[in-house]
Amino acid sequence: MLALNSIIGHAFSQSNQELKGTVTNEKNKPLKGALIKLVQLNKGAITDVNGEFIILGLQKGHFDINISFLGYESLTKSVSLPTNSPIKFILSKIPISLDEVTVTDNYAENRKKEESLAIEIVNEDYLKQNLGGSLMKSLERLPGISTIDIGSGQSKPVIRGLGFNRVVVVENNIKHEAQQWGADHGLEIDQYAVDNVEIIKGPASLMYGSDAIGGVIDMKNKKLPEKDSFGGTIDISGKTNNDFIGTSVSVAGRKEWFFASITATLLDYGDFKVPTDSVDIYNYRAALHNNYLRNTAGKEQNFHLSFGLVKDKVQSRFYLSNVNSKSGFFANAHGLEPRNVDTDVHDHSNRDIHYPYQKVNHFKVINTTTLWQEKSRLEIDLGYQRNHREEWSQYVQHGYMPAIFPDTLDFNMDLERKFIKDIYAANVKFFYQATGKTQLNSGINSEFKDNKINGRGFIIPAYNQVNIGAFVFARHELSQTKQFQAGIRFDVGRIKTSSYLDWFPSPIDNSDDLEGKFLQRAASLNRTFSNFTWSLGYNLNPGKWNYKVNVGKSFRMPIPKELAANGVNYHRFSYEVGNPDLSPEIAYQLDLGIAFSSARFAAGASPFLNYFSNYIYLNPTSGHDRLYGNGNQIFLYTQSQVLRYGGEFHTHYELLNWLQLGIIGEYVYSRQLSGEKKGYTLPFSPPASAIINLKYHEETLGGLVNPYLSVDYRITAAQNNIVPPEVITKGYQVFNVGMGGEVNLYKQKVNLSFQVQNLLNKKYFNHTSYYRLINVPEPGRNFIVNMNIPFYSNKPL
Amino acid sequence: MKKFKLFTRNFAQIKMKTLKYIGLLALVFIFSVSCDPTEETDTEKPLIDLSIDDAFPNSCAIMYFDEPFNFKAYFSDNFALGSYSIDIHNNFDHHSHSTEEDDCTLDDKKTATHPFVFINDYEIPENSSSYETDLTMTIPSADESGLFQEGDYHFYISLTDKEGWSTQKGLSVKILHK
Repeated sequence: MLALNSIIGHAFSQSNQELKGTVTNEKNKPLKGALIKLVQLNKGAITDVNGEFIILGLQKGHFDINISFLGYESLTKSVSLPTNSPIKFILSKIPISLDEVTVTDNYAENRKKEESLAIEIVNEDYLKQNLGGSLMKSLERLPGISTIDIGSGQSKPVIRGLGFNRVVVVENNIKHEAQQWGADHGLEIDQYAVDNVEIIKGPASLMYGSDAIGGVIDMKNKKLPEKDSFGGTIDISGKTNNDFIGTSVSVAGRKEWFFASITATLLDYGDFKVPTDSVDIYNYRAALHNNYLRNTAGKEQNFHLSFGLVKDKVQSRFYLSNVNSKSGFFANAHGLEPRNVDTDVHDHSNRDIHYPYQKVNHFKVINTTTLWQEKSRLEIDLGYQRNHREEWSQYVQHGYMPAIFPDTLDFNMDLERKFIKDIYAANVKFFYQATGKTQLNSGINSEFKDNKINGRGFIIPAYNQVNIGAFVFARHELSQTKQFQAGIRFDVGRIKTSSYLDWFPSPIDNSDDLEGKFLQRAASLNRTFSNFTWSLGYNLNPGKWNYKVNVGKSFRMPIPKELAANGVNYHRFSYEVGNPDLSPEIAYQLDLGIAFSSARFAAGASPFLNYFSNYIYLNPTSGHDRLYGNGNQIFLYTQSQVLRYGGEFHTHYELLNWLQLGIIGEYVYSRQLSGEKKGYTLPFSPPASAIINLKYHEETLGGLVNPYLSVDYRITAAQNNIVPPEVITKGYQVFNVGMGGEVNLYKQKVNLSFQVQNLLNKKYFNHTSYYRLINVPEPGRNFIVNMNIPFYSNKPL
Repeated sequence: MKKFKLFTRNFAQIKMKTLKYIGLLALVFIFSVSCDPTEETDTEKPLIDLSIDDAFPNSCAIMYFDEPFNFKAYFSDNFALGSYSIDIHNNFDHHSHSTEEDDCTLDDKKTATHPFVFINDYEIPENSSSYETDLTMTIPSADESGLFQEGDYHFYISLTDKEGWSTQKGLSVKILHK
């Protein structure tokens, strides 16, 4: 660029011809920064903000002129000087291009400036460069985001220390519904099909309703293909730690107004390796074969179909998807219960899946339709989902279960739990540009869920639930740099749980005279909840600064497990008892944001202060229960006041044109202010953590385009702030390395990304891992490679 | 070298005011991280001690049906104990391992048809920081359906303290007919 500037600067000569022109895209939008080159001469220019350029000091004659712009097809044309008028060049976009990074980045910048809550936005490239075992693992590097993991392929999101039913996951405008409450389940999302993820850190009940009390992960699948295009991508990934091999193929096309795309993903992985040769499960030391965490292999098959129409004033898109996975649990322990292992069977192969394992199938059909008018927009989202989840393990005669499994039951003796959940959702959103400065948003969200249960272990009752909420939200521009926003929302919900009786009799009294009785675990319950929430926000964006303030009230309805659990979780040695009288959780939160960004330097902090008047919490009591709890410790759902605060910090500085130094940090502190656990923190509290990053990047290096090499030094503090039944987790430091870029192999573009996670193969524990309590360390060194091959055809369809 | 000159120039471009703000930000962050209000919470689990004299049962212990025995264990906590429970169940299929490092020899696997099951919960006097159990138990040899099967059993002890911390010990034992 510098070189080109100097060429232009020196372009005085005897010649007096000039070449003037403009560069626009197909929609007549000027392209700023397009590169103009006169092929025969060593001369060029760059377009200005209006897409205009001028090259002086030329002589009469014919020239070939080449115009290029990131994300667009290059154009070469012949011109002859002199010309009568400026020449207009129109560039066409490369269809389904991964080059639209800059566009996405601007989008992210703008969104951050107008949203008064703390948000993070990442695109497909970020996911590829940070590819982890699951979508949440790939996002874990973001400040304020952590995960609750089981194995290498299953993770649940945690935002600023809140997870499970306190985080809403949205895919293609419809809330993703599964068994969110379970710590040993993953998220049924195909990360290869995700194009863009927006994370709202903090309560967002206003727009997303109940459950968004901790935050929102809102993602969109592959974007719309360009007009009259046909193309796709092939992804191939491999990981050494768990011998992972995965591929995802996506094909998309569009003819005028009709478009369609298909994505298929296949993943298969073996047991993951930990840098230890044994695991201490209580005082029992379980030896591991070749460092493999026995039986943690898994596989996933996902399929997506999307099609629809796009016209001037209407766009309608259907998404059909099926995500199917099967993965094993660590065979030496089922939950906290130590298990005997037949090593001949389990260590025979690191790819087979034995008991205990889980199987999940998630089916979705979604339609999103948008209608535009001059000043308004109407959005209708309809969705149906079916989550089918099964957990299988060898039948064990726990508690008063019979030694001989009766053959009169309608489920297999090894089927531990089964859930089938059908979810119907409908949302209507209406956007209206009231004046040049005022925008109004309003909407209705509704949802009906029906959850059936089966299997030998009772943990939650069958239930159905209906929720309806309506909101109004206004955004007003006070001036070019000041924005004010306010909204209110009202929600109503009804939960009906079904009665459940044990399938085996229990002795009412422990004397010799046993009279068997089928215990009632859950009564039928019918509860209605309603809530009013609000939010106020203010944004100030003077120059390079950005300030945010947001205050809001959020809420969450109790879930059936919290209201009606009454069973033994043998894998946690806990007898979990719901409380039918719980009230909806209410949270008030103050969010602040301050950020500075210039071309070379950026920094920002987003502190928050959060108060729950009645946080719902499964409290481990000092009691044991013989009859209903089979001798296990009683855990009761209770509510307490909770104060939380913390925040995230990020900064990066371009040390050199090609070297960036960055630091990101996160911290959250929680404390119960009342109840039996007054003074204690909340379960699964992530420890303070920071990442120091050094990143090399350049436009080209040899044959590589956009090469990068990035080193992350992650420092995580110890978590000494614990609550029963947790254990203190020591701090740790790990190095992760990432590198990649684009190469052209025989004119075929290939995006390569390569990572080494846990470079030094360090043994450390993650406080929020499901396996933390039985001392299973995090995975050892892992080499990850991802190859992304885009292809497209320019022939008209 | 040219690149390094750029580096120093860029650094100088950052205004003093900006630096102040950044410093302030960093201070606020460090302050919020470091000022944990440290109100002491109990984070210690209660202890089950089976190394006292006459402790019974221990790993690999042998017990006999119809023969009374004294369950003897020493429980302690830094603050106050809660309650405890005992669960005796068969391990004929070797489904689970004890929580202890033990080398007990297990009998061959067999199908449980009529195993003995025992579950009970027990209170500990309030505000005890230590407690020695003195519980005489007799495992009956039969019920109305016949003799219980002898063989490998787990003797499972669960102990809590007042705050809800818990400790479990699952012992491999044998229960035999005499």
